[in-house]
Amino acid sequence: MSDPRTNSRIHGIVLSGVGGQGVLSLAQILLEALRRSGLHALQSEIHGMSQRGGSVHAMVCFSQVPLTSPIIDEGSADLLIALEPLEALRYVSMLRMDGHLVVSEEPQMSMEAYPPIDDVYAALKAVRGAHLIDTEDLARRLKHKQAGGMALLGMASMFLPVTNEVWFDVIRQRFEAKGVSVTEKNIEAFQAGRGLIPVPA
Amino acid sequence: MDQSTLALGVEAIGCAAFDAGIKGAFGYPGTPSTEGFEYVEAMIHAAPEGRVAHWAANEKVAYDMAMGVSYAGHRTFVTMKHVGLNVAMDAYANSALTGVRGGLVLLVADDPGMHSSQNEQDSRKLAEFAWLPCLEPSTVQECYDFTWKAFELSEALQVPVMIRLVTRLAHCRAALLRRPILAPTGLGVAPKNTIQDWVLIPSNARRRYLDLLAKQPRLVENLSSMNQLVPGTSRQGVAVAGMGRAYFNQLLLEYPALTALPRLEVAAYPVDPQLEQAFLAQVDDVFVFEEDYPVLEERLGLRGSAKVHGRLDGAVPRTGELTPRQLKNALSLIVSESREAIALDLPVRAPRFCDGCGHVDAYEAMQEALKNVGAPETRVFGDIGCYTLAAQEPMGAIHAVVEMGASISMAVGAAMAGQTPSVAVIGDSTFGHSGLPALLTAADSGVNVTVMILDNRVVGMTGQQVSQALDQVERMVLGMGIPQSQVQTLTPLPKQHDANVKAVESALRHPGPSVLIFRRECIQSMRRGVLKEHDRELKACAEQACCSEPASATSEARP
Repeated sequence: MSDPRTNSRIHGIVLSGVGGQGVLSLAQILLEALRRSGLHALQSEIHGMSQRGGSVHAMVCFSQVPLTSPIIDEGSADLLIALEPLEALRYVSMLRMDGHLVVSEEPQMSMEAYPPIDDVYAALKAVRGAHLIDTEDLARRLKHKQAGGMALLGMASMFLPVTNEVWFDVIRQRFEAKGVSVTEKNIEAFQAGRGLIPVPA
Repeated sequence: MDQSTLALGVEAIGCAAFDAGIKGAFGYPGTPSTEGFEYVEAMIHAAPEGRVAHWAANEKVAYDMAMGVSYAGHRTFVTMKHVGLNVAMDAYANSALTGVRGGLVLLVADDPGMHSSQNEQDSRKLAEFAWLPCLEPSTVQECYDFTWKAFELSEALQVPVMIRLVTRLAHCRAALLRRPILAPTGLGVAPKNTIQDWVLIPSNARRRYLDLLAKQPRLVENLSSMNQLVPGTSRQGVAVAGMGRAYFNQLLLEYPALTALPRLEVAAYPVDPQLEQAFLAQVDDVFVFEEDYPVLEERLGLRGSAKVHGRLDGAVPRTGELTPRQLKNALSLIVSESREAIALDLPVRAPRFCDGCGHVDAYEAMQEALKNVGAPETRVFGDIGCYTLAAQEPMGAIHAVVEMGASISMAVGAAMAGQTPSVAVIGDSTFGHSGLPALLTAADSGVNVTVMILDNRVVGMTGQQVSQALDQVERMVLGMGIPQSQVQTLTPLPKQHDANVKAVESALRHPGPSVLIFRRECIQSMRRGVLKEHDRELKACAEQACCSEPASATSEARP
């Protein structure tokens, strides 16, 4: 994306997943990281009924200039971060033509009529700027069951104007109450995800 | 930016209430208002200094408690969701006549688009109905600043002041700059010569109603600085309020040509008619962007001098949540190029019961028992809470959900009309909220009604606040006059299924009112250990056979 520190465009991130997966928690980390990077940022989320295993989404908007709308329009998101493949497809229309999608391949099938998973993958692969990650495999390799979310954030970080230093600070602050080993596990997952996206030329 | 904290809009209001020196905060949980109370509650618990925060049994009780604090001369804060104000409406409307002593600020969170509610009623209409002021912020910082302003206005005008919030702003998280905290200081009770103002017998009420009407011009005058007319060169204008104002202000960044449009920015009601006239004199056409009902739109339309476009003429969809796209469409702005469509049908992922939830076991027992007594098609009256999810297919276990507490009274009505069996399903907190008077009537009527109280010991849906009915449901039921022989406590677990089915059957066959209490703690609150400490005390107490029971904590909530 264009560097938001050098223009006044309004940038947007959409996060999606299933209730209980940690969508809101990721959104809060993003908000804090962007804010610490000197940007004006707003986050929108919806609570309530949807927390019970339904679709959940959040948005984060940021810019050099103060913002007043916490939501963005279709076709305006720079980035879509999806913790679940079907929940990614619901929000592809939010992406700009040049936007990126980072998505976990791990389906949450606890619902009526989940489409055939190969159809879901095929639809995702047809999305321009899509980056899929096998979070299940990654979690196994890192021996960290909840590595998926942080790995997705690591992938997303390649498209965001936030330094590693800020990311690590925010992640440490978020997890410090859970102890050093949990914090370091999350940073490890973040870096593993980050390593999956080639550095733009 | 370093001086700021991050907060949700609804939390910013709670935070401001604390900072502005309240003595007491009250409320009843309900999305999207819940976090406003929880935020101020956490602040008060951290630094009480004589302040109190307490969830009430329902919104009316909460509002009356706030009135008591105000009467005693202190600032007070009360929160609820939009439909909760219906419950508190008796108190709210009459408090306009009594007026207030200490500043009273009411936070009402509306839910346009019905993310978590049964309707999208507009609280601005209820403020207007009560002849009371209403402030409508559009950003998180305004949530904070307007709450301070609301306390000042409340004391200056001696009326309660409503802050009207909508879901989108309630759950918008952003940086917030706070002011120095005021200590809770009191004005003392009102002087003796005003005692009659609070006694709304007809002779006083007539006088107070005239006083309230006479206050209206002062009210408009005091609010006038919050509404403004921004002139422009175009003959087409916009009137914006709440999120409409937030979205339009952002469009101004993206489409600078929009600055040519004269605009009426509304942040406080009632709006000065002269300001409306001055605005309308500058334009031939007006687009109105506001959440929920066409409140401003109707006002401006009635003046007749310009063509007004909005929800009534279809320029904006008649129902649902306002979006930036709707503003762009109405103003014919070019929208971003769209991505290719996804070539796959995406089935809805509906919310569902948590794995292992006791409500499922209770419903399964009910459905099997209804089959066994030969009434599998019985229409069941449900209520508001997580257990409302049973209305969805494939379970399809409840067939009416209207408002808090309605299950019991509707089942009694249907039973009186001859429906047999007649079954109500209600949660423990909803029972405490407004099921009690309904059960009193059920007991009194003697009709054949079966009431299932799904007691998960917390207000599950809104975040597992402790239910005020905690450990007391049996006593409450007996106290309403249901005979002991017709009250059974059951454990909703798969291994208890057969016994539970038998218990429901016997209740269904009993010719009078009967109550089945299905008690098992919410698995979410179990996981979080919400009642761990409480239960440990309870156990210790039972072991020592001491007479006093541990004080139960607070309430339950709305979805």
